[in-house]
Amino acid sequence: MALKELNISPVGRVEGDLDVKVYMENGVVTRAHTQAAMFRGFEKILAGKDPQAGLIVTPRACGICGGSHLYCASSALDVAWKTTLPPNALLMRSIGQAAETSQSIPRWFYAIFATDMANKKFANKPLYQEVVKRFAAYVGTSFQKGVTASGRPVEVYALFGGQWPHSSYMIPGGVMCAPTLKDITRAHAIMNQFRNDWLEPIWLGCSIERYMQIKSWDDMMAWLEENESHRNSDLGLFLRAGLEFGLDKFGQGVGKFLAWGTYLHKDMYNKPTIEGRNPATISPSGFWDGKKYYDADQKLVSEDVKHAWYENQTDGLHPFDEPIPTTSTDIKNLHNVNVGDKYSWAKSPRFMGHAAETGPLARVIMAANPANKEHQFRDPLFGDIMEKLGPSVFTRVLSRMHEAPRLYMMMNEWLSQVRLDDEFYIKPTERDGIGWGATEAARGALAHWIKIKNGVIENYQIVAPTTFNVGPNDKDGNPGPIESALEGTEIEDPHDPVEVGMVARSFDSCLVCTVHAHDNKTGKQLAKFKL
Amino acid sequence: MTNLIWLKGGACSGNTMSFLNAEQPTVIELVTDFGIRILYHPSIGLEIGEQVKEVLNDALSGRVSVDVFVFEGTVIQGADGTGNMNYFADRPMKDWVNDMARVANYVVAIGDCATWGGIVAVPPNPTESTGVQFHKRDKGGYLGKDFVTKSGLPVINIPGCPAHPDWMTQILVAIATGRMHEVLLDDFHRPKTFFTDFVQTGCPNVSSFNNKIEGAFGKRGGCLFYEVGCRGPMTHASCNRILWNRTSSKTRANHPCLGCTEPGFPHHDLEKGSIFKTMKYLGFLPKETPEGESKLSFYFKRGYNKLLSNPGENDLSSK
Amino acid sequence: MANVLWLQGGACSGNTMSFLNAEEPTVIELIVDFGINILWHPTIGLEIGKQVSDLMNDCISGKTQLDIFVFEGTVVEGPNGTGDMNLFAERPMKDWVKELSEAAQYVVAIGDCATWGGIPAVPPNPSESTGMQFHKKNKGGYLGGGFVSKGGLPVINIPGCPAHPDWITQILVAISTGRIGDVLIDDYHRPKTFFTDFVQTGCPNVRSFAEKIDGHFGKRGGCLFYEVGCRGPMTHASCNRILWNRQSSKTRVNHPCLGCTEPGFPHHDLKKGSVFKTLKYLGFLPQDVPTGESKLGYYFKAGIGKLMPSDKSIKATSK
Repeated sequence: MALKELNISPVGRVEGDLDVKVYMENGVVTRAHTQAAMFRGFEKILAGKDPQAGLIVTPRACGICGGSHLYCASSALDVAWKTTLPPNALLMRSIGQAAETSQSIPRWFYAIFATDMANKKFANKPLYQEVVKRFAAYVGTSFQKGVTASGRPVEVYALFGGQWPHSSYMIPGGVMCAPTLKDITRAHAIMNQFRNDWLEPIWLGCSIERYMQIKSWDDMMAWLEENESHRNSDLGLFLRAGLEFGLDKFGQGVGKFLAWGTYLHKDMYNKPTIEGRNPATISPSGFWDGKKYYDADQKLVSEDVKHAWYENQTDGLHPFDEPIPTTSTDIKNLHNVNVGDKYSWAKSPRFMGHAAETGPLARVIMAANPANKEHQFRDPLFGDIMEKLGPSVFTRVLSRMHEAPRLYMMMNEWLSQVRLDDEFYIKPTERDGIGWGATEAARGALAHWIKIKNGVIENYQIVAPTTFNVGPNDKDGNPGPIESALEGTEIEDPHDPVEVGMVARSFDSCLVCTVHAHDNKTGKQLAKFKL
Repeated sequence: MTNLIWLKGGACSGNTMSFLNAEQPTVIELVTDFGIRILYHPSIGLEIGEQVKEVLNDALSGRVSVDVFVFEGTVIQGADGTGNMNYFADRPMKDWVNDMARVANYVVAIGDCATWGGIVAVPPNPTESTGVQFHKRDKGGYLGKDFVTKSGLPVINIPGCPAHPDWMTQILVAIATGRMHEVLLDDFHRPKTFFTDFVQTGCPNVSSFNNKIEGAFGKRGGCLFYEVGCRGPMTHASCNRILWNRTSSKTRANHPCLGCTEPGFPHHDLEKGSIFKTMKYLGFLPKETPEGESKLSFYFKRGYNKLLSNPGENDLSSK
Repeated sequence: MANVLWLQGGACSGNTMSFLNAEEPTVIELIVDFGINILWHPTIGLEIGKQVSDLMNDCISGKTQLDIFVFEGTVVEGPNGTGDMNLFAERPMKDWVKELSEAAQYVVAIGDCATWGGIPAVPPNPSESTGMQFHKKNKGGYLGGGFVSKGGLPVINIPGCPAHPDWITQILVAISTGRIGDVLIDDYHRPKTFFTDFVQTGCPNVRSFAEKIDGHFGKRGGCLFYEVGCRGPMTHASCNRILWNRQSSKTRVNHPCLGCTEPGFPHHDLKKGSVFKTLKYLGFLPQDVPTGESKLGYYFKAGIGKLMPSDKSIKATSK
């Protein structure tokens, strides 16, 4: 069999730059290596700086998930400084986090993912014409509506944070703003517009309430066939075309999932601690190994660097124990790199020693955990879908989109819980200490670890969702989730390896913050075939 | 038809995200109504792998003309001047930037990283990053202080962390509608139409500023300049004139201005005591005073107004 | 579900037009998403003739619950107290107003005419017009100073000529989301959430105001208070916080604030020398000074600002 090596640089339309080297036999990927090809060194910049520097710097680690970084950075300082958080502050932070994620859902679907469904690869499929009409870049009818509507939720973020992206409104002790009645009522109205401009008429073709009744894959299929409005909505088209195009047939991944969860309950996290965090989440945390649920204890995270361009650390360290990175000098582009050695700027984070996929699919799997508490999401749908269909590009996309209606409902609920006469901020006392903050960025589990000593940052470590997903092989040679998900993928045209793009994009890879401080960008060019 | 190539160096994609929030026009309207043809953009381009290189090489060879080259993110020169900390399409990104800047009619640096290095260039500057034509306040940067594009203009700097979508789209519309001769640049190469006002211009708290009524986090009303380090009076940008996300701005949401459109952001290189705190002389006088004021006259005027102000209706705030 | 009935007396429909500009939410969203059921509206109602009087009679009798009664325009009492100058559904409008106000949970007066008489009530007040519960600055008006609706509130005044669409839509949303308890009203019955700020709050020219830099028509920059009669410093409204038509405000386009959210508009009853001119004492001191300042304190402060000006960068403008 002919072994071909295909170097794809850049993949593009993932945030930041991702390069992929794949080995194929008969057009099927047998092994893949991902390269994060840019380094920015934010951890080095933060060391020795003001303890609150992370509030300004880390949102700029990633312009796509800046609000999520802020959520982590402020939470980590809350723990370190032993703050008291008023309920209003927790609500304001949840609203910001949910607004950012709601923005990302249509923006990612139309601008990043669905344009690939209009690729000529699928031209012989019956639904192709309809897909092109709606999803083609810029000119697609839904592309325009979806991308424009994606700006709405972050207007709510701007009401409370001043702007999106790159606000620093969440601070230890609460939030900066003290919104007024007119801000709250306007926020309700903006979210309604999001629902009316896109979510219900374009995406669902039904009311949010009707959609929320879907509890199993059979329900989903019954919903699809219920009427023309469902079939012809963008969700209906995605379900039909996704299955017709075979998107459920590739991109499986490692089958293990991690979520830190998020949206700390307004009355359950007023005294922030590391231990108290997971039980206080509304979107639940957890680790699922394909059979069983485990607690997502941050102590069980470690990072390997055997294949990453860092020199001064050993494999398997917990983020609190990791040194400020020292970079390698022998950096090679994708083309020339030796994958047996170091080949990426991304480290390889592991949970309980396992590579774990993070992201919306992980979140909806945790939402299906029967042990979830009353205040947490309890939604069996993706427990069932994982059983019936398993993970794939299709399942991953569906899980992402599934969050939009629920977040809409949650944002309205949180807005209605804000008490305008109560506190939004309680000034904390600054002190040395350690802290951990975590959340669910749109694309998955994000966490910050901070150590403060002598009134400045001693160490700051970020483990971003795409670091989990896109990281290189670990010390034992086990692939990361995207590397694993690429295996078995058929590539029809090596000059246009859209399948690789679809797998990477189904993870909503964000190299920008993946590389915790290191971003990746790489570049290699196309195809060199070793026959 | 205006051809545009957008590349990213040491960037967080924040400027791209901000750009996608644009409203009048939207990014889609730029393409469909104003004839902006996006030849490549890393987040929304359709090309992959070798196709990208073909686009870039066609631009460099002159086979396709490049009207606008937009660069987001720092120019990464590390390690040791090689640029290998940021490879793109098989080469150090810095080499693409150099080549592309020379074939484009206009070069636009978008965001603080591209304009003057921004956060990425904070000491110890681990990636040896710099801006396209400035390094912090110093002209030069990666392309050198004398660089001009084919059109005769130097690099057009649209700073901000991120830049407001209007600052970008309006300049693109100016190019597409042949109004570039009306775009005046200031000493830092910023278009004056956006960067003549201060962030304070249109801030709801200017009366509090004048009367030295202090604001604080989590409360309504008062000026953030005195205690939590707001840089609105010394930062040029139209944040309170052209609102963010159609609705707001940092200072409107009680968030101190960080001064992100001025070279030097993050100011004081994030040193201890510089974050969300007003740095003081003698424990009570702001160390940095509004642009255009002598320190002495500023202290005098504010002290005076404080004494004279009637703590009456001006302080009121309501939920 | 909240039933709303909207009637117009001595009105120009300007408030209705402004209301139809509403964006967040739109009028349509108010109806479909926030459960606002508009029983009837003179511009957009579907009923005609007797159907309308039947509907009003049902409200008055309690057969239909009337949650919110919105009145736009003055209550016309002429000639000679009969109200015949404004007949509606075969009766003087003022009689409908009285009976509907007594039947409704909340009564909202929208626009200056309905709140305190506005332009129709300028002497000689040919139609004997007055506001719902105020006549100019005096409590009383048509319904009397002691009036409270069934919901326990007096008439809620949303002044402005016209009122900003948000001021009315957000109050309707507040009622429909159960936040009526958060609606605080000031001495003139205005919701404080909109009428605590001044028009000057967020005006781009406040620094010029403090430094006494005069503005003029047709030029960029400077404060309009000193020469062309801007009332921004003494007018309560959020015009520069929540922009108009999503874009702008009077003072942002160099248009002096007319003070239209304060009782008394049009101020000085349009007397000679009061339109687009700052009325002066001794030929140079503004006769009306900012709210919350004593005249002497104000003159003193402005004099200091003028004597110790900031340098020219603060006054810079650009096209």
